[in-house]
Amino acid sequence: MIKLQNVSFHYKNTDAFGKQQRTRGVDELSLIIQKGEFVVLAGDSGCGKTTVTRLINGLVPHYYEGELTGSATVCGLDVASSGIGDLSPHVGSVFQNPRSQFFNVDTTSELAFASENLCVEPKEIHRSIRRVAEEMKLENLMDRSIFALSGGEKQKIACASVAVAEPEIMVLDEPSSNLDEAGVEELRRVLALWKNKGRTIVVAEHRLYYLADLADRLILLKDGRIAEAFDASAVAAMTEADTASRGLRALRKVPLTEPGQQSGRPDEDALICRDFDFHYKHSENGIYFAEKQFRRGAVTAIVGHNGAGKSTFARVLCGLEKRAKGTVQFDGRDWPVKKRPALCYMIMQDVNHQLFTDSVLEEVMLSMPVTIPEAHRREQALTVLDKLDLLPLKDIHPMALSGGQKQRVAIASGVVSENPILLFDEPTSGLDLKHMRQVADLFRLLKEEGRTVLVITHDTELVHEIADGVVSFS
Amino acid sequence: MKFFQYGNEGYKSILDPRTKLLLLIVINVVIIGTGFTGTDYVLRVICAVIPFVLFLMIRRFRTALLYALVCGFMLLAERFLFPSTHGVLNLIIVITLGPFSRILVGYAFAYYMMCSTTVSEFVTAMKRMRVPDAISIPLSVMFRFFPTLAEENRAIRDAMRLRGIRLTGKNGGLLRQIEYEVVPLMMSTLRIGDELSAASLTKGLNAGRPRTHICHVKMEIWDWALVLLSLGFLFYMLVLR
Repeated sequence: MIKLQNVSFHYKNTDAFGKQQRTRGVDELSLIIQKGEFVVLAGDSGCGKTTVTRLINGLVPHYYEGELTGSATVCGLDVASSGIGDLSPHVGSVFQNPRSQFFNVDTTSELAFASENLCVEPKEIHRSIRRVAEEMKLENLMDRSIFALSGGEKQKIACASVAVAEPEIMVLDEPSSNLDEAGVEELRRVLALWKNKGRTIVVAEHRLYYLADLADRLILLKDGRIAEAFDASAVAAMTEADTASRGLRALRKVPLTEPGQQSGRPDEDALICRDFDFHYKHSENGIYFAEKQFRRGAVTAIVGHNGAGKSTFARVLCGLEKRAKGTVQFDGRDWPVKKRPALCYMIMQDVNHQLFTDSVLEEVMLSMPVTIPEAHRREQALTVLDKLDLLPLKDIHPMALSGGQKQRVAIASGVVSENPILLFDEPTSGLDLKHMRQVADLFRLLKEEGRTVLVITHDTELVHEIADGVVSFS
Repeated sequence: MKFFQYGNEGYKSILDPRTKLLLLIVINVVIIGTGFTGTDYVLRVICAVIPFVLFLMIRRFRTALLYALVCGFMLLAERFLFPSTHGVLNLIIVITLGPFSRILVGYAFAYYMMCSTTVSEFVTAMKRMRVPDAISIPLSVMFRFFPTLAEENRAIRDAMRLRGIRLTGKNGGLLRQIEYEVVPLMMSTLRIGDELSAASLTKGLNAGRPRTHICHVKMEIWDWALVLLSLGFLFYMLVLR
């Protein structure tokens, strides 16, 4: 069905310094995937697993430019000489970001979109949509505005829109990155359904626990080559030590450590939030609770399903919601809404939104009060950059950095801001084990500095690794 | 929250996208090109009522009410305030309200069009008019573009507030604020556009090839009535006046 023989691909792009360069996608890779097989591609970021998915749907080499050697055939079509349009009837693709994979603004049109492009009869399309809606339990999502859906619902629609056109092959590129546990479970059910129908499925993914039972083969990529391959029985036999030594995320669900630090004893030092009450206009979303405590100088994980109000809580705590009711106590004083930006610094899930200047150094200095003399600010910024391994990048435009580097710049800005509390919104979504550990190490560093760290996360492995306490929202 | 965003859940828009496009043009021609007296003014009022009725029909009651209040005030001001004041006062009123009264109705109609039309209806209608894909597909992306831009912009503004970047105070200044806002906005728009094109291509979107469509796009009696009205308005604007 899919045959890759000695395939090498190098992306053409420019590096952070503006020089032309070739980045390795895959290197002399050979892989044959049979009809009906369920293959999981795993490995560090940049190991080439996304490139393999792109070779299958034709985005490489037809959309992302570069040099391709070797031969890649999908359903008997030569990828290099056929266009994306020729491959699209055979291959359905689901991507990572639910914000950017819909051409339409309403769900039903999106479900029909791929079939419409194939000139399928409208009657036939309606029939397929009804069938898929029934199979995937989508009845309540039909005829909705896509803007009104949650992340999990969007990913469900993304899967369904691929299924309507009935391609033989499904490729998914990190489909669970933006999903909470319930969303991942939904995704797993969809994949199991496809597997039962005999579809060929290729998933590139970091989070592995939901795929362990489904995979016929787990392929570990390293530096663009296949490092190891495991069949279903080998996957089932893998232990925690086996996965950890290969830099893989856990194959079994890591249970959430129960909330420890929630004794009734009032902790004078803690961050105490009382009588929070806030609801968005025209929406049922919001939060309401009597009291929550977060230990000072510790890492506290904030958990709860999507829509439980975690992000709303973060916005209120950072003073972004002016109408919010409730008191915040820390360091022996009250923090009214207006003062809160000086108390709590948030590192957003999409750090692209919070980098404004044209060099890393300037970005970090922007967070410091202008009352400090410039030379002093510069010195302090350089110290922090050094600690976070960013010193060689200090003159580079933040937007030219990789995702992880951008996140570290945002953290550096938070560190120099001298806010006692740093709040992270989903810092490890879509990270491999190595980078997740890196984030955990950063938290340790912040803790040593005496900062209080709050982490909103779905990532139970991260909670397990670093959290001193857990506060759950429901 | 719902800036120029499709939200027609459950109620189908009764107008054909082609009618909407024609009306958009005619309403703007009339509102920008007419004076505030006689037949001109009657035309203005008729054009101003159209978005109001359409808002009601897609059950955007709050929008309809807000629009009625603002637009009613503008129309009364045009009729009574503009001619009855003189000198500097008149100058101030005309300069402040004038441009606004010339774009309000067109803006409201564009808003209606964006929240009541799906991308596939629009693409289908364009196809019927034999507009080449090279024009209709980029145009149709605009239905996604504005809401996405608004979402991104909101997140960036929040981030700026967290960093203490404001019009005044530390790190303040209008120019800096614009610079800080526009750079991340452009970057994320580019990225989203890039990913969106990739996703659409894998779903077989291919300019110039025939495709089918499941949405019903048909000129109904309402459409023809409004088309006639529009043509009448155009005739008045271009010939009679």
